[in-house]
Amino acid sequence: MSSNGKHEYAFFLGCIAPNRYPGCEASAIETSRKVGIELLPLKGASCCPAPGAFGSIDLNVWYAMAARNVILAEEMGKDIALICNGCYKSIYEVNHILKHNDELRDGVNEVLAEIDMEFKGSIDVWHLAELYYDEKICGVKKIADSVTRPLTGVKVAVHYGCHLMKPMKERHFGDSENPMWIEELVDAIGAESVQYRNKMQCCGAGGGVRGFDLSHALDITNEKMINLQEVGADALTEVCPFCQLQYDRGQVEIKEKFGVEYGLPVLHYNEMLGLAQGMSPQELALDLHAVDCTPFLEKIL
Amino acid sequence: MAKEKNYGNPELENKLRDRYFYNEDSKADFLKEVKRISRTIPEMCFQCGTCTGSCPSAPRSSYRIRLFMRRAVLGLEDEALTDPDLWLCTTCYSCTDRCPRDIAPTDVIMAMRNLAAKRDIIPRNFLQTVNLIYTTGHGVPNNDVNRAARVKLGLDADPPTTHSYPEYIDGIQKIIDHYDLKETADRVLEGVK
Repeated sequence: MSSNGKHEYAFFLGCIAPNRYPGCEASAIETSRKVGIELLPLKGASCCPAPGAFGSIDLNVWYAMAARNVILAEEMGKDIALICNGCYKSIYEVNHILKHNDELRDGVNEVLAEIDMEFKGSIDVWHLAELYYDEKICGVKKIADSVTRPLTGVKVAVHYGCHLMKPMKERHFGDSENPMWIEELVDAIGAESVQYRNKMQCCGAGGGVRGFDLSHALDITNEKMINLQEVGADALTEVCPFCQLQYDRGQVEIKEKFGVEYGLPVLHYNEMLGLAQGMSPQELALDLHAVDCTPFLEKIL
Repeated sequence: MAKEKNYGNPELENKLRDRYFYNEDSKADFLKEVKRISRTIPEMCFQCGTCTGSCPSAPRSSYRIRLFMRRAVLGLEDEALTDPDLWLCTTCYSCTDRCPRDIAPTDVIMAMRNLAAKRDIIPRNFLQTVNLIYTTGHGVPNNDVNRAARVKLGLDADPPTTHSYPEYIDGIQKIIDHYDLKETADRVLEGVK
């Protein structure tokens, strides 16, 4: 915590949030400020890099590229906060591995010496959603207290995504079969969280599969959509812009390829929180979403 | 069973070819390499199938993670690395969280992909991502529609990443070049060995 009593973090943006769904970035900064968390720009950061693409080709280059991003925050003397599960896998996991594996750290530092950088292992990496849930930083009550426009009367389903909580033993979230903590954050903003079949199943996009075999990826997404439709969700929320892309643009692709239409709005938790704190759809750039959010917005505005 | 059929009919010989596993098919170093890169314990696999049962890709394809685990243990390198199913793992880690032998099958797949990549077996989309990061720092770079939207939100047109600070790209290129990844991407994408 800084001298002014605020919790300050280096905000690692990744790619999809700033470059496809800027409302995620804008709302993360704005909503966090209202609960005492200041997100500072992490200058010169790059792609995390994409764990599916880079990790599959050569894990060593994945370690080195992710370490470079971590070092930028080490130089600021701030922990990293981020809003994407894919970024979490790269940045959290590489930071963790390099802190505990001397051989890999030395290998990475040998390469980074070429660009005058050194991984020290002096900071930690957090997903913004876990900071919201953490009583010591924010907590569910503070989230609830920040709400000026409760999302009353809407059913919201949660997609946790994979790389935030799995693999369980390399994380600190506990049970990955049926977690409920994000539902608590959804209920805190006045919406009704709903349960659906096979909640923890993957969105289908990861591991490079979205690019390698789009129909295969979309067929997984479609299975999720069927399960979401079954419980009458008004919207889906997640904490990963890549999952968001898969569900949001994926619904357009599912319509094209499979001829099925769902029209289920998909909003990042920060976009949901932004709405609940009174931000307008324009301030969240919801018009950039492929699936029209209007039916959902009409229920809450 | 005879390995050579000599039926004088290649199509029939292929259909009826010997599918037994012989010790000489096994490459012991393959398991060692997979183990080293994956940092997990594939040799502990007792083929229960919990991994395949947990896999979102299995019900809609011929991809079987349990089969790849067996290939690791038996040292069936060619079978593992040349099978296109290797690239259908979404890396969801459900198998890893449920494995009763505390193995990380997902990381076994990642290690096999790393070894396939050394043979230039890499899907094009993976390499296109490498190229985008090499030139812009981002796997998904900004565009004009998004820039306009960002400005409306009160954000800078470009985020404070390599997009606003291109002086950092040189360092990124040096890291990627250290591992010859750009060279690999160009070679494979151009289809030239």
